[in-house]
Amino acid sequence: MNPPSAPHRPPLARASLAALLGLFTAAAAGPVLATASPEQRTDHLVSRLVAEQEAAVPGRPLRLGLLLEHDPHWHTYWSNPGDSGLPTKVRWTLPAGVTAGEIAWPLPTRFVLGPVVNFGYEGRTLLPVTLEVPAGFAGEALEIEAHASWLVCREECIPGEAHYRLVLPVAASAVPGPWQQVFATADRRQPQPAPATLRARYEVGEREVLLRLAGDLPDGLERWQFFPATPDVVENAVEPEWRREGDGYTLRLARSTYFRQSPARFEVVLRDGERGLAFAATPALAPVASGATAAATGPAPTTLALALVLALLGGLVLNLMPCVFPVLSMKALGAVEAGGDRRALRRHGLWYAAGVVSSFLAMAALLLALRRGGEQLGWGFQLQEPAFVAVIALLLFAMALGFSGLVEFGARFAGLGGRLAAGHGDRAAFFTGVLACVVASPCTAPFMGTALGFALTQPPAAALAVFAALGLGLALPMLALGFVPALARRLPRPGSWMQTFRQLLAFPLYLTVVWLVWVYGEQTSPRGMALLLVALTGLAFALWLWSQATRAAGTSRLATQGAALAVLAASLAAPLAARPPVTAPAAERAGGAYEPWSAQRLAALRAEGRPVLVNMTAAWCITCLANERVALSSPDFAAALAARDVAYLKGDWTRRDPAITAYLEGFGRSGVPLYVLYPARGEPEVLPQILTPDLLRQALSRL
Amino acid sequence: MSRSTLFAAAVVLAAGTLAATAARADAVVGQPAPAFTLTDSQGKTHSLKDFAGKTVVLEWTNNECPFVKKHYDGKNMQAQQGEAKDDGVVWLVLNSSASGKQGHVTAEQANAIQAKWGARQAAYLFDTPGTVGRAYGAKTTPHMYVIDGQGILRYNGAIDSNPSSDPKDIPGATQYVRAALADLEAGKAVATPTTRPYGCSIKY
Repeated sequence: MNPPSAPHRPPLARASLAALLGLFTAAAAGPVLATASPEQRTDHLVSRLVAEQEAAVPGRPLRLGLLLEHDPHWHTYWSNPGDSGLPTKVRWTLPAGVTAGEIAWPLPTRFVLGPVVNFGYEGRTLLPVTLEVPAGFAGEALEIEAHASWLVCREECIPGEAHYRLVLPVAASAVPGPWQQVFATADRRQPQPAPATLRARYEVGEREVLLRLAGDLPDGLERWQFFPATPDVVENAVEPEWRREGDGYTLRLARSTYFRQSPARFEVVLRDGERGLAFAATPALAPVASGATAAATGPAPTTLALALVLALLGGLVLNLMPCVFPVLSMKALGAVEAGGDRRALRRHGLWYAAGVVSSFLAMAALLLALRRGGEQLGWGFQLQEPAFVAVIALLLFAMALGFSGLVEFGARFAGLGGRLAAGHGDRAAFFTGVLACVVASPCTAPFMGTALGFALTQPPAAALAVFAALGLGLALPMLALGFVPALARRLPRPGSWMQTFRQLLAFPLYLTVVWLVWVYGEQTSPRGMALLLVALTGLAFALWLWSQATRAAGTSRLATQGAALAVLAASLAAPLAARPPVTAPAAERAGGAYEPWSAQRLAALRAEGRPVLVNMTAAWCITCLANERVALSSPDFAAALAARDVAYLKGDWTRRDPAITAYLEGFGRSGVPLYVLYPARGEPEVLPQILTPDLLRQALSRL
Repeated sequence: MSRSTLFAAAVVLAAGTLAATAARADAVVGQPAPAFTLTDSQGKTHSLKDFAGKTVVLEWTNNECPFVKKHYDGKNMQAQQGEAKDDGVVWLVLNSSASGKQGHVTAEQANAIQAKWGARQAAYLFDTPGTVGRAYGAKTTPHMYVIDGQGILRYNGAIDSNPSSDPKDIPGATQYVRAALADLEAGKAVATPTTRPYGCSIKY
C-alpha cells in the first residue's frame, strides 16, 4: 500500500536546485520565489506546501498541495477518519481576491486496529487544493500562507501542525514545475466521478443499510473496497455484502451506532488499487425512526394506517383547492340535473370515484415506474413536463369555451345535460373523475405531503394504496351525494339559473388557463408561451369550424369537419411536437431578499453559524404561491429575517431538479412546498405546508 | 385495493417485529447496558449491578492519548467527575489497553496518573482483555456512556461536541455527558442520546 516514492526523488533534487537558485535570486532582489515551501519536520511526518507550476497565472486555476511524508507505519486521516482520528485541515492566508477550494481527497486506505477501523493515508501522499487567482490579479508575486493541522497515528496518536509560506512569481503563462510528477501521481489516485448513468439509492433499516447501485458499472465491482465518505450512516468496521441484482448490485451494510437521520446525499468512494469511483446515494426510504436513538431527533414515525388516513383527509381537502374547484362545480351541476333520481346520482358518483381513483393509481404507477428507473421525481412531476401543462391548458380552454356557450361540444364532453342514467353518462362521469385528478396535481393539500412522501418510500402495493386513498378522499363528496339522501334533498331544483351559472363558471376556468400559460412560459420562454397562445387560438378556431360543420350538409359538412381537424392538429403540434425554446430561469430576480438554493450554499451558511430559512417552491404549485402571497412577501417577514440575520434560500422545482428532489426526500417529502428553518445551532424545524404570518413570526422568534 | 392494503400492513408489521427482536452487537441506547465485573486499581471488584438505583458514567481512558490529555489538562474531565460525585452519580474510568500496548499501566501507575490529574472517579477499572470494551462497542479514548438507575443505557458517545485535541476548544463545546446527566436528574429523556465519539482508537 506504500506509494512508490523512489521515482519522485529526482524532482526533490530539482526542487532543491530550484530553491538554491531562488536563494540567489533573493540575494539579488525581493522575496524568495520557489515552487515549494521549506520542509516542516514534526513528529513522524515531514510536510511541505508545493505548487504544480512554476508561476501563478491570473485568471487560471493554480494547483497547490500539502505533501505529506509519513514515517513507516504512521498515518494521517481522510475527510472521514473512521472510528477515531481527525481529518487533516488546511487554513489559508491569501491575497485579496485569491480563494482556495477544498482538499481534493485522494483515495484513502483502510486501517484496522481490532474492532476500530480508520481511513487515511500512509507513505507519501499529496493533498491537492485548487486556488482561484482572479484575472485582474496585479503584483509580481503571489504570497501564499497555509496552516495545516492533523493527527498522526501508528497505534498511538500525536496531534501535529505546521505553517507554510510560499511565494510564486506571477506570469502570463506557466510551465509545470519540478513537482509535476507528484501531482500526476495524486491525480491517478483521485476517485473519478461515477458515470451519469449510475443510479445509487440507499435505505436505512433498523440494523442495516441497503445500498442499490444500477447503471453502467465496471466489471467485478464487488471486489472493490468500500469507503463511506459521509460518516455516521454505516458501521466503518463492517465490510459490505455485495449481491448482484438486475443491472446492478445491492450492498448490505451495517447501520452505524451513531446514525441519526438519513442525509440527502450519502457519499461513497469505491477503490480498486489506484482506481476509484465516487458517487452520492440518495435516500430511497424516509428516515426510519427506531428506538431511543431516533426518538429524540428523527421525524415523526409514519405508519401505513396513518398515511392512509392522512391521504384520505388530504384528498377531501383537495376539493376546496382552486385547481379542483371548476371541475367540482361542474360535477355539482350534474348532480343538480339528476335531481331526485337517487339511483342515477349513486351510479354517477361511483363512476366518478372510479375515474378519480383509477387515474390517481395510473399516475402513481407511472411515477413509481419512473422512480424505479432512477428518475429523480416527486409528486407534481407531471407538471414539470411542459407538454403536460400545455395539454391541460388546451383541455381547460376547450371546456371553458363550452361553458361560455361558444361551442356546443363542451356539453357532451363534460357530461353536462347528458342523460346520467345512460351509458354515455357513466363514461362522462368517469372522465370527469380523470379530469379532476389531472387538475388536482398542482395542489398539495395539507396532510398530503407527509402521506405521499411516505408512500414513495414503501413497497409498490402500499404506495398505491396511499394514492388510492387520496383519490377516494377527492371523490368522497360526490359519493356522499349519492349515498346520503339528506344531502341530495338539499340540492336546489334545476332551472334556467343553471345556464347562467354555467356561463359564470367559465371565468375561473379561463383564469386557470391563464395561470397554466404562465407556468408554461416559466418552463420554456416567452416564445414558447406565444406558441401555446397560438395553439389556444387555433383550438378555438377548430371548434368553431366544427360547430359550423354541424349546420352544413353533405360534402361541405365533411370538408368543414376535415378542415376543423386539420386546424386542431396543426395547433396542437405547435406546443407539443416542437421542443419549446428554453431560456434560463429568472431565478435571480433583482431586489428579492432571497438567494437561490444550493446544497453547497446551505452548507456554507450553516458552517458560518447563520440561521437559514429554506423555501422549496414551484411556479405550478398553487399552495406555494398562496403562501408567498399571504406570508412570505410581507414587509414584516422581511424585517423579521433581517432582525435575526436569517439567510433566505429559495429552491425552484418548476422544472426537474434532482438536487431539490433529493433534498425533499431528506425530509421524507416528495413534493413542494417545503419550508425548513435551521437555527444557528441544532436540528432544523420543518414548518407546516400552509403558512400564516403569525406562524412564521412565532417560528422565527424561536430562533 | 383493501386486500393489497391488508397485505401491505401485514408485511410492514412482520418486518417491524423481525427487526425489533434481532440482536445487536454493541450497547444500544434504550436497552439494558451489558453487565460486567472488573477489578479496580485498589484491587477491589465491582459489578455494574452493584450500582443498581444509581446513575453510572463509564469513561474509557488512555493516559497517553492526546484527546484524553486535552480533557484532563483542560480540567474538563475532573470537573465533571466532581459534579457527578456531588450528585451521587457513580463515575467509572475504564482502561481497555492490552498489555504491551499504549496506555496499559499498572495499578500503582494508574493511581499516580489519576492523582496527578486530580481526577475524582469512583473507581479505575482494568479491562485488559478488552472484553467489556468490545461488549459496549467502545472505540475511542475518551468514549463515554451513561447508564440510568435501572441499568438502561441512556447515552453513548463523545464527551463533547468539538472533535479536536486542543484544550482551548473545550469552553465553546457542548458537554454531552453533563447535559445527559442533567436530563436524567430532571427526569427527562436524554435530548442527545447518541453522538459519534472522537479521540484515539482504543488499543485492544
